[in-house]
Formats: sequence, C-alpha cells, structure tokens
Amino acid sequence: MVTFEHVSFSYNEEGKEAQIIDDLNFRIKKGSFTALIGPSGCGKSTILSLICGFYKPKKGSIFLDSDLQGTGKIGYMLQNDHLLEWRTIFKNILLGLEIQKKKTKETLQYAHSLLSKYGLREYENAKPSALSGGMRQRAALIRTLVLQPSLLLLDEPFSALDYQTRLHVSSDIYHIIKEEEKTAILVTHDIAEAVALADTIIVLTKSPCTVKEIIPIKFEQNGITREAVRSTPLFQYYFDLVWEALQNEKE
Amino acid sequence: MKKNRNITFLRIFVFASFLLLWQVAADKQWIDSFYFSSPLLLYQQFIHDMTDMSLFRHCFFTLSEFFISFILIIGGSIFLAALFWFFQTLGKVMEPFLIILNSLPKSALAPLIIVWLGTGIKPIILCGISVGIFGSVLHFYQSFCNTDPERIKLIRTLGGNKVHIFTKVVFPGNIPLILSMSKVNIGLALVGVIIGEFLAGRQGIGYLIIYSSQTFKMTIMIMSICILCLLSALLYLVVNQVERFILNKKY
Repeated sequence: MVTFEHVSFSYNEEGKEAQIIDDLNFRIKKGSFTALIGPSGCGKSTILSLICGFYKPKKGSIFLDSDLQGTGKIGYMLQNDHLLEWRTIFKNILLGLEIQKKKTKETLQYAHSLLSKYGLREYENAKPSALSGGMRQRAALIRTLVLQPSLLLLDEPFSALDYQTRLHVSSDIYHIIKEEEKTAILVTHDIAEAVALADTIIVLTKSPCTVKEIIPIKFEQNGITREAVRSTPLFQYYFDLVWEALQNEKE
Repeated sequence: MKKNRNITFLRIFVFASFLLLWQVAADKQWIDSFYFSSPLLLYQQFIHDMTDMSLFRHCFFTLSEFFISFILIIGGSIFLAALFWFFQTLGKVMEPFLIILNSLPKSALAPLIIVWLGTGIKPIILCGISVGIFGSVLHFYQSFCNTDPERIKLIRTLGGNKVHIFTKVVFPGNIPLILSMSKVNIGLALVGVIIGEFLAGRQGIGYLIIYSSQTFKMTIMIMSICILCLLSALLYLVVNQVERFILNKKY
C-alpha cells in the first residue's frame, strides 16, 4: 500500500542542511497496523508528513497504491484531538467534509452512524469541553474516519492522555480501526503500546533515521486475543526485542 | 449575593453623596457655580435642551459618527490583519510602520486630517478611525500569526488550503479577541470622534463642549461631559451583552 524506496529527506536550518531521513526502505501492507518506533526527534512524524505529501523526499521514491491518490484518502490523527471549542462535536466531525465539499445526505448519515456506533451520539450537540479525554480522542478519530480514508496515520494520538485512559482509548481505537478495515501507521515512543497494537513494528535509528529492524508481531497466530496480550510472556518477549533494538539509539 | 448588593448600594451612596456635597457647596457658595455649576443647574439645562431637541440632535450626530468610525475600525482592522496574514511578507513589511503609527499620539494627526479634508463628517470619522485602527490591526495580525500550528496542520491533514485555515481556525479562534478589542475600541473611537468634533464639528457633543468652553457656559460643558460618560457606558454595556451572547452561544 505504501512503499518507501531509498528515501532521504533533509531541510535547510539557518543555512545548514539538516539530514532527517537517510535511505529509508519499508513497505506497508494493506489492512496492516504498523508501528513506527524510535528515539524522539528521529523523524517519525516527518515520515507521516512525507506520506501525506506535505514534504517531498530529496532522494528516493514513495509509492502509494492507487486507492490512496486524491484528497481525503489518507487520514491523519494528531497528538492532541484539536477539537475546535466553538463547534459542537457533530460540527467538529463534519470539518473535513466541509473542507472537501463532501457534505451530502449520505455522508451526514454515515457521520451519525459512526457517532452512534462509537457511543458519542448523545454528545453530538455538546461542546468538546463536555467530553472526557478518551471521548474527545474518539471524536477526533471519527472526524478522520468520516472521510472514509484507506490509510490512517496516527501521530502519537494517545500521548496527551493519562496512563489509564491511554490503555482504554488505544484499545478502543485499535478495535475501531480493525472494524472499519483500515490500514494504520502509528508513530509512538511507547514500546508497550506498539507491541499491544501493531502487527509489525518498524524500529528506527536516531536522526538521520533509517530502518534498524522490522519486527513482525504474531499474537493472533499464537491464539492470543489483543485484549489479553499485555499479560502474556509473548508480550514481554516482543517488548524485550524492541527494547534491545532501541538500546543503541538514544537521542 | 448579599455582598454584591452591598457594593451596589455603596456605589449609589458614594455617587449620591458626591451630588449632594456638590449642590450644598454651590448653594453655600463654597464653590463658584459660574465655574463649577451644580447638579440642579445641570438638571435644568438638561431638561431645557431636551425640550428644544437640541441635545438629541447633538447626541445623534456624535453617535452616528461614532458608529461609522467603530464599524470601520473593526471591519478595516480584520480586513487588513487578514490581508497581512495571507501575504505574510506584506505583513512583515508593514508591522514596524503599524507599531510606529500605533505609538503616535493620534490627536497629533487630527489637525492634519482637518487640513486635508476640511470640515464636515468625513474628517471627524477619519479622526475616530485613526485613534483605534493601528492598534487593532497590530493586535489582530499578531494573534492571527500566533494560531496554534497544530490546528493549522489539522486543517491541512483534512485537505484544506490557506482559505480553509483562515475561515475554519484562524478567524473563529480569534472571535474572543475581536470582541474584547471591540470594547477597547468603543472608548478609542469616541475619543477620536470628539477630537474631530473639537476641530471640525458644527454639531455633536464634542462641538458642544468646545462651544461652551469658548462662551464660558460651564453648565452646558459639564452636562456634555456627563452625557459623554453615559453614552460610553451605554455603548460598553451593549458590546458587553453582544460579547456575552456570542461567547455563551459559541464557546
């Protein structure tokens, strides 16, 4: 679905060329949940911006499947929910539809159905301040999903939440993404979160970043459901594997 | 609640005591009522000028000039600040000029405006505008530029362009500032209009003040100042109510 081939990226900082990404190669399969993990400042979010087309690679190529061409095909979820406080939850959810001029009877119905499905229907006329952190994050995800993107980019979407809420919300969002059959790329610092959610973990080196290791995560193949992964020895095994790969990649 | 009532009572008491003391001082000739007038003389003058409608006419002119100036300050400031935000190079070029013009005592501009535009309503309105517009443009422009970059990124992730960023995030996010600047501009526009009337008016409260000072009609002068106080308080209350209404509805 997304292929990076020898991608390098740098930008000009006060007259100096700062190399952020160097010869990055990886492939994201359709329907997969991939986590990008690496030291902070290594360029994880830049990779998402490259996929989105906000930046162009200096060298190499990024190949996107045909179903990712055109506006609204790639959904992006930011670190904070950024729900606009002057809009109701429903109007916040319609933001992307308004921008892309896709506000039709069908899309409005779809927005309503998503709100009902994910327990926010009764809050549709509420202001964002009336919602808990987890509900706000769910609303932000619905705002992205309502555009029916084929690929979801999650840029540390749980980092602003407290630990307990984070566990609940990450699990909720994992299930929503799987239920909607979306491909997702998650950027995170949190090894446990990456292991608990992803099918594949791409460990990145410190800046200029490149792929250090690609670790496939196989819970389902071992008969373990995602709800139960955290208490299994396999979870600890994958955790240690990622931790080991990150050992020499301090900031 | 009871404390608030006591404070209101004390305010009325202080004001009433001041009026009483003023009247007694005038009656006992502790002060010369030719220079200082008295509440009773003010009341008689007020009734006289209301009966012959002259006071209405002066108030109508001042208020008309004020409203035109006020609307042009707010509308013009938003337009210019938006223009500078859209064309940031232009904004950066203009910023120091705005800072200089804002720090200039605006009353210094009034004689120049009168020479350029002569007498009548135009120079008065321009005086009114000149007092408030530079500060407002500067405030709005700086606040537009300080919009959270993550919110801008959100609009871009939803497929939005610069117009969407302005209409969906920058402008609505600055409505509280626009409302609070409106309150500040009530006073400023009124100051500008009165300065304009001092120099170029043939009608209006400013003209009444300058006319009465030249003819030593101190009662008319003090009454005009009191009416000006009441008008500015009234206008402030109106804008305050509008602000509360919008903020309650939208935020």
